[in-house]
Amino acid sequence: MGNLMSTSFAPECTELKQKYDTCFNEWYSEKFLKGKGLHNECTDFWEDYRKCLDIHMKKQGIDNLLSEARSEAPFENGGKAVDDEDRK
Amino acid sequence: MRLFKSEQYFDYPWEQVSAANWQKYPNEVSTHVKSVDVLRREYDPVKQVLTTERLIGCSQNVPRWLLCMTGGCEKSYVREISTVDLQNRTVTMRSCNLTWGNLLKVWETVVYSPDSSDPFGRTKFRQEAEITAHLTFQRVCDQIEDWSVDRFGQNAKKGKLGFDSVLENFAKLDEISDRTCKLFDEMNLRTSSVLKEWNNRTDSVLKDLNERKESAIQDVNVRTHTAVSKLADSIFHKN
Repeated sequence: MGNLMSTSFAPECTELKQKYDTCFNEWYSEKFLKGKGLHNECTDFWEDYRKCLDIHMKKQGIDNLLSEARSEAPFENGGKAVDDEDRK
Repeated sequence: MRLFKSEQYFDYPWEQVSAANWQKYPNEVSTHVKSVDVLRREYDPVKQVLTTERLIGCSQNVPRWLLCMTGGCEKSYVREISTVDLQNRTVTMRSCNLTWGNLLKVWETVVYSPDSSDPFGRTKFRQEAEITAHLTFQRVCDQIEDWSVDRFGQNAKKGKLGFDSVLENFAKLDEISDRTCKLFDEMNLRTSSVLKEWNNRTDSVLKDLNERKESAIQDVNVRTHTAVSKLADSIFHKN
């Protein structure tokens, strides 16, 4: 691809993240956008990356910030704030 | 609360824009974005909807004193939920800041959709932000005042330490004077040369102490002045 890739907030996770991202970007362009996506792929890379994130989010206290935001604007709600359903 | 709206167009098909969106960072313009992490991603193959939660790390672009005031965090974070709807050809990204939430909340919504005039060649980018400041100006002022008082306290403490040492030396000088007096009594003005010698020594000690006192006071003045200038600078930069 030759493009620069973004890094993780935790430098320790950057390598795992970039492996996952590479896999995902390929899936997104080649399968998802073409309507051929049967399931969310790249799970092996995802598991490793995710484990690394969990450790460092706890260390840096980001998980606390997140839990508040998640109850305010749930993932299942597409990130819409629960107190304002009119928000587009 | 303030609203911000903007609309732009990209001369690329929606599919291409949506793919590039995942690889938007790093770029030369958004240098404040330091990291991007995927926290959760779910795909619904029936609806063909992909939902992603991301954590975006930004470098702080706020004055240092504001960092001190609010607990000092070197980075700020934004949480973003995006949904890619393949059937409707839309990408909707909703984000909100995680850090500084007690001061300011920015709810941003970005939608990438095909431009109706050229749905396979052009993409519309619509951005809306709702900005709410949670602090009244009075509270900000109060916090700045508290911070300033604190800083002044610290500098005053330093100043006092400096002055303490000066005072200590003055006390020593008194002892010397005492001793000189005793000597006077004991020696009963035995020789004028002894007296002269003591006087000279007392003089030079006094002179030395005076110089030290002056420089200590000057130091306190300079520090106080620096603190005030820094504060003024910060307020200026903030605006």
